[in-house]
Amino acid sequence: MPEYAKMKKPDVKLVILGDMNVGKTSLLHRYMERKFKETISTVGGAFFLKQWGPYNISIWDTAGREQFHGLGSMYCRGAAAIILTYDVTNWQSLVELEDRFLSLTDTANSDCIFAVVGNKADLTDPEAGLKEEEEEEEGEEEGGEGEKAERPARPPPTPPSPVARRKVHREDAIALYGRILRYKMLDERASLPAEKMCFETSAKTGYNVDLLFETLFDMVLPSILKKRSGNDSPTVDLEECRGAKRTKAGCCS
Amino acid sequence: MSVKAFELVPAVERELLMGDKARITIECIECCGKHLYVGTNDCIIHHFLLEEHTTPKGKMAFSAQRLLQKYLGLKKPVNELKAASALERLIVLCDGTISVVDMVTLEAVPSGGARIRGVLSFCVNENPVNGDPFCVEIGVISAKRRTVHIYMVYEDRVQMVKEVATPEQPCALSLDGYFLCLALSTQYMILNYSTGASQDLFPYDSEEKKPIVKRIGREEFLLAAPGGLGMFATAEGVSQRAPVNWSESVIGAAISFPYVVALDEGFVTVHSMLDQQLKQTLSFRDGHILQDFEGKVVLASRKAVYVLVPLPLERQIQDLLAGHHVEEALTLAEGARRNIPKDKFQVMHRRILQQAGFIQFGQLQFLEAKEHFRKGQLDVRELISLYPLLLPASSTFTRCHPPLHEFADLNHLAQGDQEKVQRCKLFLISYLREVRSTDGANGCREDVDTALLKLYAEANHESLLDLLASDNACLLADSAPWLEKHHKYFALGLLYHYNGQDDAALQLWVQIVDGDLQDSTRSDLYEYVVDFLSFCSKVDLVWKYADWAIHKDQKVGVQIFTRRAVNDQTGTMTPDAITQYLQKYPQALVLYLEHLVLDRRIQKEKFHTHLAVLYLDRVLSLSQSEAPAQQVMEAREQLQCLLRESSLYRVQLLLGRIQDTELLRERATLHGKLEEHEQALHILVHQLKDFPSAEEYCLWMSASQDLGYRQRLFHLLLGVYLDPDVPGGDCTVAAVDLLNRHSEAFDAEHVLRLLPEGWSLQLLCPFLSGALRGTMHARRTAQVALGLARAENLQLKHDRLKWRGGPIFVSEKKGCQLCHNTFTEADCVCLPGGVPVHTHCAAHRAKDSPRKRPSTNPSNHT
Repeated sequence: MPEYAKMKKPDVKLVILGDMNVGKTSLLHRYMERKFKETISTVGGAFFLKQWGPYNISIWDTAGREQFHGLGSMYCRGAAAIILTYDVTNWQSLVELEDRFLSLTDTANSDCIFAVVGNKADLTDPEAGLKEEEEEEEGEEEGGEGEKAERPARPPPTPPSPVARRKVHREDAIALYGRILRYKMLDERASLPAEKMCFETSAKTGYNVDLLFETLFDMVLPSILKKRSGNDSPTVDLEECRGAKRTKAGCCS
Repeated sequence: MSVKAFELVPAVERELLMGDKARITIECIECCGKHLYVGTNDCIIHHFLLEEHTTPKGKMAFSAQRLLQKYLGLKKPVNELKAASALERLIVLCDGTISVVDMVTLEAVPSGGARIRGVLSFCVNENPVNGDPFCVEIGVISAKRRTVHIYMVYEDRVQMVKEVATPEQPCALSLDGYFLCLALSTQYMILNYSTGASQDLFPYDSEEKKPIVKRIGREEFLLAAPGGLGMFATAEGVSQRAPVNWSESVIGAAISFPYVVALDEGFVTVHSMLDQQLKQTLSFRDGHILQDFEGKVVLASRKAVYVLVPLPLERQIQDLLAGHHVEEALTLAEGARRNIPKDKFQVMHRRILQQAGFIQFGQLQFLEAKEHFRKGQLDVRELISLYPLLLPASSTFTRCHPPLHEFADLNHLAQGDQEKVQRCKLFLISYLREVRSTDGANGCREDVDTALLKLYAEANHESLLDLLASDNACLLADSAPWLEKHHKYFALGLLYHYNGQDDAALQLWVQIVDGDLQDSTRSDLYEYVVDFLSFCSKVDLVWKYADWAIHKDQKVGVQIFTRRAVNDQTGTMTPDAITQYLQKYPQALVLYLEHLVLDRRIQKEKFHTHLAVLYLDRVLSLSQSEAPAQQVMEAREQLQCLLRESSLYRVQLLLGRIQDTELLRERATLHGKLEEHEQALHILVHQLKDFPSAEEYCLWMSASQDLGYRQRLFHLLLGVYLDPDVPGGDCTVAAVDLLNRHSEAFDAEHVLRLLPEGWSLQLLCPFLSGALRGTMHARRTAQVALGLARAENLQLKHDRLKWRGGPIFVSEKKGCQLCHNTFTEADCVCLPGGVPVHTHCAAHRAKDSPRKRPSTNPSNHT
């Protein structure tokens, strides 16, 4: 972990949710360390701090396993953005988002942003299979090796010719996004459009990964500013106080 | 398992506690300073004094001395003990009842007598909101009623302050400020007992496993979560740290910053709170209790008590560094920032950064190493000293003790791998460059620059010259042999020059140019030396090497003088002295004179004449030696140009020398300089028959003169064309052309009179129409000017009348504005605005008003 910023206080929180073995940790790894490597099943959760301009953004990687499900709402508490991740080759992983994970987001900020992300796009989409950056590949297989044992239904290792078993289409994800907004009782017209918030990524090739995170970072910036200004901080602002007094006096006299 | 953070040290042995009674087990412990209280299942509280000492081997050890043991009179185990040291009281939970006993005597407090019954568990608030030092706040779980009570325990009484209902039966709790962190039967929650606000944390099955609720700091708790996780939660219900990964069978947890220590069936595990990684595992069977008391972590089996003694932070960090766990060591150090005084921390931190940098340097991770060196403010000489021979012999540097790294020198580090050595050297080059550009080299610039010079020389690096040409502190004595060794003679010359030893520098360079020394740094070294000399301020040196330079190539060598700044040419460097000196080198002399006359435009007859004579000599010698026509042509053009442009040379002298030669054109020019235009034109027209040149002659001779002069010249030319005494009639055509082309340069009337009668009008049509148009134009222009002048005059007249204004009436009835007397005579002065006043009043006023006082009359001041 090359971050020296561990002790810094994060300004805003971003949480990655999703069923086990969809590649949450791999996504985060790809973004933070620019490579795809074998990860083991996440235990509990882990977090990274990302310096984004003057702000510190904490990104929480959660465990997808059922066992740790109860912790999810704690991670989501106060989150400004939530990435709901599924596996494009696994229909059930999308279903789980709605069935299990959506309710966890109740504790997130009221203005929380949602992104629906289909990972492992390299398996179905020839374009995503192309490397975005020429980097040494460490893990030959797709992510989440450690979870293999726990999930017998897992697809076999990457076949040489992809474009195979796409199970979830982009339209399904967009529909899910609409249902999320309805669940949150948000006006679809006032919210961010589904086209912008549904991504298909590949942690293996890096396809769309930077786009995903950086789009979200830019979107949560207003939330940071709001948090900073809206904070009733314990520090007394003498300047502000003086200003308020003056107007009051002006009013009474 | 990277760190040895704790050592397990026995504190109270089984023999001391219970002898050989097999059924007796430890139920709870409390440690307060040196006092250790142990509660056993036979309802006895044991009180020990725990002394810490160091064994001869340097290990820490404890010796326990039994002070007292107290039987509480029941057949129940002692469940919990908590000391309130400020009150000298021990709070005891036994048989569902909390009682308060004296810390020393372990006797029940006589006046207190208050007991709390039906208690499942309790905890002490270590961060109470109420600041009273003479009471202790405890949170108590009722065994049956799904409530938590907050009590204040005073020296002599116990007082309930709050009752809080909980949604389920609580089974464990912790308190911080107003916040109760509770383990309920199916979940954890945070409850603010002041406001009643609650916050669910996460579900947990307390039936299946014993919950753990541990306060770890201000408003932050550590909880046992499903899957053997240690979850952190703040009072707001947010997790700020990633969870630690315990085993499923975890029994207890304790905090010793920055570590979380946990106990399970077979092991004690140590995780860092900073990176949540497992740092140490200690095998410990039959563990029963793990608690921390004021930073001391105490561990108990059912039969004996141990202390987990933390190793000093610096030792841990050094161990980590020794194992090359750089990042972990730094994380640990930075995590301890708050616990160490600032200045001490900075010293330590800096050293750790430096050590970390050297470890990474040894692994050739230069980028990271550089970052750590920079942050650790490494004395750059530490790094330089790794490279043999780089530090100057005169350097006073000695390596830091204890050493920052394990390497003797670069060869030791690289183990003979030359590629590694090269990479290290390249790194040092880039690092030193950066150090130079910042102020990191303060106090050791000489060492840094000399080292850099040596590296550059060795690596044949192009920046060597940049270094020497810019501001540097390279030590000459140390660098010179090195540069010689690597055949960097040119660079050595630069270094000599930088150190003010230009003579030595020039000697070297001359040797290189002459091929006595081999150094191919500059192929144009000769030109460089010439350039150098032209800027050299040491005149004697210039004279010393001028011969060598000019001898080698007159054309280039003369630049020593021609490029020299003008204001530098004083003393023995005057143009006169230089021309004198250059007599030996004709080519150089010409070039130098050209420089004086043509470039610097020195207005001295001597140089102009000298140059003209030299030019002339050249032309003459060339034309005699039958050189190619082209060359003669060029030489003549140069001469003609000089003769035309300059007017300082001695015309008579040149004319004398040119008289008997074929150089007619030059002669014409010389005649022109003497204002002998007729002769000049005669040569041009009749001898050379070059009419365009004749016209041109008229034009440039009159270029800076008035129109009359030009007319005179043209008339002269016309006269020469029409001269009937000279044979050859084709001048007529030239005359017509001249007239037609330059109609404006002639006085038409005069010309008409001059022209032969027989010329047709057609022939002269362009001239005549031009002349006519010219006169017409002049006439009309004059008319327009006249008209404009009249109009202006009229305008001025109008303005004058306007400003004079209307009549001013003065009568005997009208008073003066200044003295208010009436006017008696017609004389008056008008103030601005047409107000009439007496002349004497106006004069008086002008005298008084300082602003209006005429400045030409300063005597009026008094």
